Amino acid sequence: MELLLTNLAHGFGVALSFQNLTFALLGALIGTAIGVLPGIGPVATISLLLPITFGLPATTAIIMLAGIFYGAQYGGSTTAILLNLPGEVSSVVTTLEGYKMARNGRAGAALATAAIGSFFAGTVGTVLVAASGPLLTQVALSFGPADYFSLMLLGLIIASVLAQGSVVKAIGMVVFGVALGLVGTDVQTGQQRFTFGIPELSDGIGFVPVAMGMFGIAEIVLNLERPEARSVLTNKVGSLWLTKEEFRRATPAVLRGTVVGSFLGILPGGGASLAAFGSYMMERKMSKGRDQFGSGAIEGVAGPEAANNAAAQTSFIPLLTLGIPSNAVMALMVGALIIQGIQPGPRMVEAQPDLFWGLIASMWVGNLMLLVINLPMIGMWVKLLQVPYKYLYPAILVFCSIGVYSLNNNVFDVYMTVLFSVFGYMCNKLRLEAAPLLIGFVLGPMMEEHLRRAMLLSRGDVMVFLQRPISATMLAIGFIALALMLLPSLRKGKDKALAE
Amino acid sequence: MKINEKDLMSGLFLILIAAVGLWLNQEHTLGSARRMGPGYMPLMVFWLQIGLGAIVLLASIFSDGEKLTRWTSAEIASFVGGIAVGTAVWWVLKSTGGFFGQTYNAVGTGMLAGFLVLSIPQGWRILGVINAAMCLFGLLLEKMGFFAALVGIIVLSCLAEREHLKKPVGILGCTVFLLVMCWFVFIKQLDIRVNLWPQL
Repeated sequence: MELLLTNLAHGFGVALSFQNLTFALLGALIGTAIGVLPGIGPVATISLLLPITFGLPATTAIIMLAGIFYGAQYGGSTTAILLNLPGEVSSVVTTLEGYKMARNGRAGAALATAAIGSFFAGTVGTVLVAASGPLLTQVALSFGPADYFSLMLLGLIIASVLAQGSVVKAIGMVVFGVALGLVGTDVQTGQQRFTFGIPELSDGIGFVPVAMGMFGIAEIVLNLERPEARSVLTNKVGSLWLTKEEFRRATPAVLRGTVVGSFLGILPGGGASLAAFGSYMMERKMSKGRDQFGSGAIEGVAGPEAANNAAAQTSFIPLLTLGIPSNAVMALMVGALIIQGIQPGPRMVEAQPDLFWGLIASMWVGNLMLLVINLPMIGMWVKLLQVPYKYLYPAILVFCSIGVYSLNNNVFDVYMTVLFSVFGYMCNKLRLEAAPLLIGFVLGPMMEEHLRRAMLLSRGDVMVFLQRPISATMLAIGFIALALMLLPSLRKGKDKALAE
Repeated sequence: MKINEKDLMSGLFLILIAAVGLWLNQEHTLGSARRMGPGYMPLMVFWLQIGLGAIVLLASIFSDGEKLTRWTSAEIASFVGGIAVGTAVWWVLKSTGGFFGQTYNAVGTGMLAGFLVLSIPQGWRILGVINAAMCLFGLLLEKMGFFAALVGIIVLSCLAEREHLKKPVGILGCTVFLLVMCWFVFIKQLDIRVNLWPQL
């Protein structure tokens, strides 16, 4: 406990330096902005800003990128409540009750509930990361290559099981992602694989062109194909203060949402949107105001908003302790760390205490900033919402293009991004999910390395994956998860759940 | 019989890619399970992908019949034409000397031409124009400089949205604003290494 406090104090020392504070604020501001704006999400933004973070120290870079991610959870609720349009995927369920509250003239209360709930959940999430990080790290240090392999396999299985639509298609995309990750120089023999003699491919396909093409550019095309449904804001925000009654009802919902969100965030393949959804289902069944659901129940805002932010914080746990990304944004964080020359994994706490504790402390600082950014300054974000998409998309496109070029100062990356944007467009039309592909793409090379090492140590005996208890447990969980999702009755339940 | 066309195409796509991968993988040594060569993991991955693709394919035949949007004959023509023109342009340019023979300029010009052909029918307009704009940016950036490339990508990408065509003033405003902003962010603040003006 004392050690934890010392470490946290050290973290705050790092996070409160002028540079880190500035970039945390910048991240929070950008995060809120993209959260508010429908049509551009944290995945595209973070991949866009990755090249820009080259020049920054590692800690500062990660602090800013993390700020974008949890900032987007705050901003997304604003659009959901005021426009009935989710700014982020994770705020889809907030539209259900939040917009109804806004129509009842309680928009201010809904916004305040969302922001305060998020802040509370963010604080709890941060404490959880700080407390569990070092413990899990100890466990992770006893992991052998076989355990790592099985853990990543489990992560991939859960990521595809929880993806929208068909599980088999999602696994197919994961596997294709792994295949894309194989392109480049084989680490052990130095042989070029699938590079077609292109020198730029010998380091593998760039992460940024894949992410930006599929999540940035393809998204622009798809948004433009849909006619703009955004109505100009007419209703007033109203008072931000909650009535006593509202406060009494929102508090337990926030608590429940925090618990659900923290848990679902840690799960590989989980993340903010799943957490928000889980909490919404729970509130509709359990809360005192469940009969008011559908007509603007405050619990339906408080719970999911707390849950998505709690999950946004706790999804850092697998990344910081095991080096395994649990969702697409965390996959980007891995990319950012590797670019900075840091191998994410259990040794990070020891080797990079500034980064580890500084990031955790900055999460809390960032959440505090976001509370200020989102409540008193709500008017500014409402104004931002009035910028039509026709002026927005050229800006996104230009930023993506310059960003991707400055990655290596090579136009090759620009053309690569174009190819992946066409691929992303095609995937969307065929209802193939892009997020599982990205996770497979990041985990693929690591899995191959651990697999080869594990097989070498076991002298080619596959049974090693079942003999080691940790590995066997992971495989068993993965197998059960897969089997459950292939049961027709459960699958229908999930489809219905995700479709809502 | 109802067929889920989206799943059918998805399955075919997964199988096709994996088959190409397996074919390319023949040149890599496999090694043994104990000491895996560079070809071992790809072999497993691609067979797994073929298996999954086959399941998707089979399931699509016994499923709810989700239809893909039908392509009009103009769309088919511009799709095939775009690929043909793009490949032809690349093929011709890559052996010529000068600007188009350098680095990836032949590829970029080929892609630009291909996307422009693709964007002729209304259905492909947005996809073609947005990607053509990015190719134009790549093509212009190093030779003509930062500002010219920006003007190219902004003006071309604006053509994807019909409202901009009705009111061209919007394009002008958009261009000026983005030029100033990009100069400030990328050149003034981030100081990226790129030519600002044409290199003649």
